[in-house]
Amino acid sequence: MKVLVPVKRVVDYNVKVRVKADGTGVETANVKMSMNPFDEIAVEEAVRLKEKGVATEIVAISAGPSAAQEQIRTALAMGADRGILVEHDGTLEPLAVAKILKAIVDKEGPALVILGKQAIDDDMNATGQMLAALLGWGQGTFASKVEKDGDNLKVTREVDGGLETVSLKLPAIVTTDLRLNEPRYASLPNIMKARKKPIETVKPGDLGVDVTPRLTVLKVEEPAKRQAGKKVGSVQELVEKLRTEAKVI
Amino acid sequence: MDHNQPHAASEETRMLRDLVAKFVERDLMPLEPAVLKREATGGGFKLSEEEEKTLLARCQELGLWGLDVPEEFGGANLPLLSLAAAEEEMARACVPFTIPPDSPNLHMMLSVASPLQRAKYLDPYARGEQRSAMAISEPGAGGDPAGMTTRAVKDGDHWVINGRKIWVSNVPRADFIILMARTGDGKRQDGITAFIVEKGTPGFVIEREIPMVGGRRTYELVFEDCRVPAENVLGELGRGYAPMQLRLNVRRMQMGARCIGMARRALEMMTEQAQNRVTWGVRLADRQAIQWFAAEAVMEIHACRLMVQDLAAKLDAGADVRMEASILKVRATEMAQSVLDNAMQTWGAMGVTKELPLQLMHQQVRLMRVYEGPSEVHRSAIGRRTLGGKV
Repeated sequence: MKVLVPVKRVVDYNVKVRVKADGTGVETANVKMSMNPFDEIAVEEAVRLKEKGVATEIVAISAGPSAAQEQIRTALAMGADRGILVEHDGTLEPLAVAKILKAIVDKEGPALVILGKQAIDDDMNATGQMLAALLGWGQGTFASKVEKDGDNLKVTREVDGGLETVSLKLPAIVTTDLRLNEPRYASLPNIMKARKKPIETVKPGDLGVDVTPRLTVLKVEEPAKRQAGKKVGSVQELVEKLRTEAKVI
Repeated sequence: MDHNQPHAASEETRMLRDLVAKFVERDLMPLEPAVLKREATGGGFKLSEEEEKTLLARCQELGLWGLDVPEEFGGANLPLLSLAAAEEEMARACVPFTIPPDSPNLHMMLSVASPLQRAKYLDPYARGEQRSAMAISEPGAGGDPAGMTTRAVKDGDHWVINGRKIWVSNVPRADFIILMARTGDGKRQDGITAFIVEKGTPGFVIEREIPMVGGRRTYELVFEDCRVPAENVLGELGRGYAPMQLRLNVRRMQMGARCIGMARRALEMMTEQAQNRVTWGVRLADRQAIQWFAAEAVMEIHACRLMVQDLAAKLDAGADVRMEASILKVRATEMAQSVLDNAMQTWGAMGVTKELPLQLMHQQVRLMRVYEGPSEVHRSAIGRRTLGGKV
């Protein structure tokens, strides 16, 4: 089966994010950018499915600026077979990305789309679910285990208070949680091989998708500075303060 | 702004840098505390056999092997620009490990080795199965090869070598050394020939181990009627010096990159301390003295990185880079020395303990200011070339 893996270009998880001086967003100029870690887990899972003989072809897709090719190339170095870049410079909201992905799914006809449960930049946690709704496919979100089960896919989900197992009819959408796997490093020989793998570039307009934002960002600001804590001298004083000041007991 | 985000010449270079950075973070950094403790308690600046084996296996798995080795020898044949990025990342960890093989000798051998030498020495060396060392300096002849007195005399189909070499690194583990010896009476570097001498050749004696600062060790070697087959002459007779220069220029590029890696680590640690440490109610980060340390470090790291990239690109293009190599060698080592020193100062008493890597890196850079040509020799060379001086 063919597997589609959408990957998002985000500010690297090691970078301390800064808000732009004019409050319109976060600073991304000259900042190290990487593949969204949840999407890395998705690529790893797709590659494992291919190694098990379940997947036959892996297509990595990114919607974003031309530099998002870097993230596609990383996916190719991890084991994806080819890439599609949907080039767009402005804001892309989850619904726009879901529509783009739907258009590509219609064209490519994959049996599985596997993607991160959310991106670490805006933490929307929406694209996978929206895509499932647009396609009318089943979805297994927050996956911590994915297994082929006959014609179905058995997905273990991390839910509040435990694990839930769902059986999905293919084609389906899976979104990945942190504990699904530990992504491999792209080894040097695979980095070299990735050079020769093709990346196709299209525009949202070519796919007939209108990506005009539906939301307006009013202001972005940094979280309030954390107040310094208080030191207490004894357990008695601690209990006293918890009761009278914090009012939690 | 992220000044640690250098311009990448290619996607491969960028991805290689990411790969090496991950390797350093996940495989090398966790070893650092144990390595520092071992060194501080007299166990030497080294890895245990087990640690080294694990790292080598990891490198093999990730393909971090023979980065600039040609494909015909099973290497990745990356441009030196990529090698520089890898070196820089590797140097952030104070752990005695390099991605095999040690490449400077490789470049000299690649340029001049005979078919026989390629099969016997270069092949296993390029695969990382053999190690080598390079013996140039002598007591009384270091940066200036004119004083070299080790002599090789032809005797039938052998050369007989007599003399003494000093400050040679990597000797005990080297399967062969490249030895420079006089075979003719030319001026300065004329008449110097390179020989491949195998470990265990009769007359090749490791005289003593010399402990150096920074946990390093070098060796003094004695050659007494050491007979080397004529086929072990590496390159042209009497013209061994120029190919050796080729080795040195790559080496200086690597040293420059390593200095940047160490300085980056020092700056990271300086930043961490400056943001956390409060004295008399003020964070160090808000004190001008410390801000200037940081500013100096950022500017110098940036300048040196541009020099490394320029040198690497020119080396890849086959240009004569002696001037660029000299400039980088002096500037990068002195830059790293100063940044490390300021980082230690920022950390106060903690900075001069053997629990932090700063002191060991500081000593290692101190050493780097001397080997592969002391700063003063390079400064003289730069000045002489500029002014047309004679000496």
